[in-house]
Amino acid sequence: MLMSGGIDSPVSMYYLLRQGHELLAVHMDNRPFTDDTPLEKIVDHLKVLGERFQRKIPLYVLPHGPTQIELMRNTDRHVGCVLCRRFMWRSAERIAEREHATFLATGESLGQVASQTLSNMRSATAAVGLPIVRPLIGFDKQEIEAVAKSIGTYGISTRPGLCCQAVPDRPATRSGLVQILQQEERIDVESLIDDCVRRAVVM
Amino acid sequence: MTYSTLRLCSGRAAFEAVPRPRLALDLPAIRGRLEDAGVTVTDARVLLIARMEREVTISRDGRILIKSADAVEAGQILARLRALVDLPA
Repeated sequence: MLMSGGIDSPVSMYYLLRQGHELLAVHMDNRPFTDDTPLEKIVDHLKVLGERFQRKIPLYVLPHGPTQIELMRNTDRHVGCVLCRRFMWRSAERIAEREHATFLATGESLGQVASQTLSNMRSATAAVGLPIVRPLIGFDKQEIEAVAKSIGTYGISTRPGLCCQAVPDRPATRSGLVQILQQEERIDVESLIDDCVRRAVVM
Repeated sequence: MTYSTLRLCSGRAAFEAVPRPRLALDLPAIRGRLEDAGVTVTDARVLLIARMEREVTISRDGRILIKSADAVEAGQILARLRALVDLPA
């Protein structure tokens, strides 16, 4: 399950844990485009959810900053969020394969931000083969916040923290897969993923 | 006036200065100046990340983000940065 430190991903994880799924968390560490706070929040989210469901949830932390730098240097900025998501999915899928996980999951809900339009979700998730589960897909923000408050993760998510500095001024809300694949021809995708996954830390 | 205001960013973990009007900074030149002053810089083409007392992000359009939640410290860092790289007044 991809965890960002925001409001949505712990709520999404809550629903999957409630159904009895065994989960592991993956965080794409976006420093230096953010700060330490997302990771600190995730550690606390997992503590809250782990106590509620009486289990330890492993956390993989993968360095995503070097990939972001490559994307910023070599690709068009307006599709940066879609490219970024494709790398997140690919990295998470590698971890899932290593851990024999059978699906990927996120806290995405439709239309909330630029990367979560149907068109961009399609472009992003075409990078991976494992099924992707999105428990919150039809929720609106108020509903998600209400659940976050009831399970004790809202206060953690809303602590001060830096937003992603790699988000372009005007991120694309529609992207075509052909266009995205052309952008990826400018970078060495496999080597970036290999490097990212090799440097994963388990907490 | 350019860079007249430092404001807390939406995440409340940093201060940002947004020039009005937006600029078109020469990032390679700024990187050179900073490195000459002994500051480590990550160059992501459309922005620089400078490791001063705190990390500072400098965007090509002139936005500056200082990773400090302390307004006084952020102001001091901005002043030092402006002295180092001669940003527009």
